[in-house]
Amino acid sequence: MLLRLKQHSVLPGFHLALGYTIFYLSLIVLIPLSMVFFKTSTMGWERFWTVVTEPRVMASYRITFGAALIAAMINAFFGLLVAWVLERYQFFGKRFIDALVDLPFALPTAVAGIALASIYSSNGWIGQYLEPLGIKVAFTPLGIIVALTFIGLPFVVRTVQPVLQDLERELEEAAASLGATRWQTFKCVIFPSIFPPLLTGFALAFARGLGEYGSVVFIAGNMPMISEITPLLIITKLEQYDYAGATAIAVVMLVVSFILLFLINLLQWWTGKRCR
Amino acid sequence: MHTLSVQTQSTAITEPRWVRYTLISITLIFLSLFLLIPLISVFTEGLRGGINKYFAAMVEPDAIAAIQLTLITAAIAVPLNLVFGVAAAWAIAKFEFTGKSLLITLIDLPFAVSPVISGLIFVLLFGLQGVFGEWLAASDIKLIFAVPGIVLATIFVTFPFVARELIPLLQSQGNDEEEAALVLGATGWQTFWHVTLPNIKWGLLYGVILCNARAMGEFGAVSVVSGHIRGLTNTMPLHVEILYNEYNFIAAFAVASLLAILALITLALKTFVEWRVQTQVLINDPDVAS
Amino acid sequence: MSIEIQNVSKTFNKFNALNNINLHIPTGELVALLGPSGCGKTTLLRIIAGLEFADKGSIFFYGEDTTARSVRDRQVGFVFQHYALFRHMTVFENVAFGLRMKPRAQRPSDKQIQSKVDDLLNLVQMQGLADRFPRQLSGGQRQRIALARALAVEPKVLLLDEPFGALDTKVRKELRRWLRHLHDTVHITSVFVTHDQEEAMEVSDRVVVMNKGQVEQVGTPDELYEHAVNPFVYQFLGNVNVFKGHLDQDSHFHTNDDNRVASASAYVRPHDLEISRIADGESIAATVLSVLSLGATVRVELLDVQDITLEAELSKELSRTLDLKKGDQVFVKPKQMRVFTASGAVVAAA
Repeated sequence: MLLRLKQHSVLPGFHLALGYTIFYLSLIVLIPLSMVFFKTSTMGWERFWTVVTEPRVMASYRITFGAALIAAMINAFFGLLVAWVLERYQFFGKRFIDALVDLPFALPTAVAGIALASIYSSNGWIGQYLEPLGIKVAFTPLGIIVALTFIGLPFVVRTVQPVLQDLERELEEAAASLGATRWQTFKCVIFPSIFPPLLTGFALAFARGLGEYGSVVFIAGNMPMISEITPLLIITKLEQYDYAGATAIAVVMLVVSFILLFLINLLQWWTGKRCR
Repeated sequence: MHTLSVQTQSTAITEPRWVRYTLISITLIFLSLFLLIPLISVFTEGLRGGINKYFAAMVEPDAIAAIQLTLITAAIAVPLNLVFGVAAAWAIAKFEFTGKSLLITLIDLPFAVSPVISGLIFVLLFGLQGVFGEWLAASDIKLIFAVPGIVLATIFVTFPFVARELIPLLQSQGNDEEEAALVLGATGWQTFWHVTLPNIKWGLLYGVILCNARAMGEFGAVSVVSGHIRGLTNTMPLHVEILYNEYNFIAAFAVASLLAILALITLALKTFVEWRVQTQVLINDPDVAS
Repeated sequence: MSIEIQNVSKTFNKFNALNNINLHIPTGELVALLGPSGCGKTTLLRIIAGLEFADKGSIFFYGEDTTARSVRDRQVGFVFQHYALFRHMTVFENVAFGLRMKPRAQRPSDKQIQSKVDDLLNLVQMQGLADRFPRQLSGGQRQRIALARALAVEPKVLLLDEPFGALDTKVRKELRRWLRHLHDTVHITSVFVTHDQEEAMEVSDRVVVMNKGQVEQVGTPDELYEHAVNPFVYQFLGNVNVFKGHLDQDSHFHTNDDNRVASASAYVRPHDLEISRIADGESIAATVLSVLSLGATVRVELLDVQDITLEAELSKELSRTLDLKKGDQVFVKPKQMRVFTASGAVVAAA
């Protein structure tokens, strides 16, 4: 049996707690999720392949992956900066800023979506200044990147911040006493230890960006081949009662998500091991 | 100015002042552009037509129905996931068994799934063409494009929140206090109620706050299963979408501002709980006290 | 209440934590389980308590088999190494916990609980701190509360896991004496785990020396110190000098090569090593490496002709008379030693 106690314990409730956990997990997560694969298996490999490689679908992969990747990179850079500033410097309003970083976790994505769409539209607060420069954000792929940057920011900040906090100040002091400049210390002492969490945060933001729907649909414009993301395509297919098509695309997304999840777990395991 | 810099410099090793101020400025500008301005815009857009129109949008019957449905959904999803979270954390943190890391990964699974797919899976199960579709139709039970589907999808997307807060917390506390209670003659339930629960209450609250925020704000998954029937299967985020797509921007932002207030309350509670947990850890640390 | 441990074995992930342990703990005694870390002493204590289950063997409390009984029903008092006080409860609530958890029919009234807890707080000299939380107490105070809490349910045996391990030296010494005194008042059969031989010797009636999951020797502190049955016990109970040598036909120990029959080692405590300026028949030449004053005694480090470092402990007066300096040539001679053969058996007490 897979789930068996390694060591007998005096604490009660193991079988009850684990039994309920597995029951509820199966009911809510495992069985419903397996439906996607079950449904796809009935449609045949050839048809599956045709559906998931349609030009419009391929374009949506490119847009989704590209936007998520760029947004995750922006977040890796600015997330590190935000984490650093919050952890190392004192300034007025720091506590407020620290709490604000979690806003994308707390704010419903639809609200974020309409807010971003309105301020980046051609007569919006920010959009009106970008328009004369020839930069159009709302209803273009650029808008997708803005929305995904909003959504992904806390992932990087919140994975890097605790590591930065636990970093021994003595290491930096030692480096300084050995004659390293501040930049050298950052490059050779600090950065290597925060790199694994930074990569984890990047991967988390990227994974979240791939699946994001609510904040994107309002700002993207949703033009096929140009600014249509994969999750939206799934919904479009559903609305046309093309269940098989929607499910096939969902399978591709799920497989990518699971690979990412596996890589993130690996990364976290690696980080944990290094710290210990 | 001098005293200020003395206060801020706990260590002699830091960056030159111009570097610090540049970095702080870039951070503040970036966060203003991406977080603060969108947040503020929700309220100003909602109030653009004056305070009367703002409140009118909220008391309109469809809006009230949406608010009610959102509250009901959260009221079902959060307690269910709370019970699950406690059970899962107890099994995982207090016992050693094979397959544990797999179980933890499976619990986190809903976070890795796109909200749209989270909705889709329930359509595949209970929709007209779904596995149980025919049987449900024959029995005249409607789950998809109805409230039960919305609740199910919400439970799915908020599934891991409580468990993933509690597992590390319970693990860090060890089994000593529970063992002490058992030696003193307490039963399993007594041990849980009188010893374990008081120790994890803040972590529990933290998980519930996050779970609730997501439950009330979920859009993608709910959008797939709802069917967007006004007054019946619209939650607040869906109601916002409909209003927005009808170019009723003032009403859309007015209802959205309610959700934004919910987000702000969530952040405030979260910050408070984090502060509580931090001080608790600090004063409970035996090394600090002795 | 005597405790009988029969053929107890325990394995963790193929690691033999306990290997066929047999032990008798007489009623009313205070017994120490002494050994290096990882020797299985804590595991044995937890098995007695019912917090851990043995793979094999039985535990009897006063002739009654309790092996299958759950920890709740064993009626033991257990004091945890890090106290395991309930951090969200006051001192009073902590001590009262065991009484409040009893089934309604057996539960004392609030008034009875109040007076019982007051008595216990008096016993552990913590009266007046009933409303404090554990975090507001010092380590020593927490230890006393943990003990009061364990005693509240009137256990048949009291088990203590490294009770003084987390305390600083001064508090530890104080609490040791206090525990001994407490045991003399309540007379409850008690077992405590320690890795500190001084602690075991000072507090307990009887010491069980353990190593690698096995019992090496059981005895009163004096018996163990004077009549260690093997080199491990001898070394574990105090500092020691080891002389390699041989036995002759009459089983006498020699460091020289005459009449060798079997190789053996002589173990000598530092205070049994006599230092003299003049050579005598059996003495060994050595050079003084350092002289260190430790208050009442003086510790001398020496290097003998075999290039082995020796340690001797002298009284202050003697050291003054000898007037030792670094580099001095002296002669050492054991006043008392214990000889073990290469296989670890005792040869003779010289």
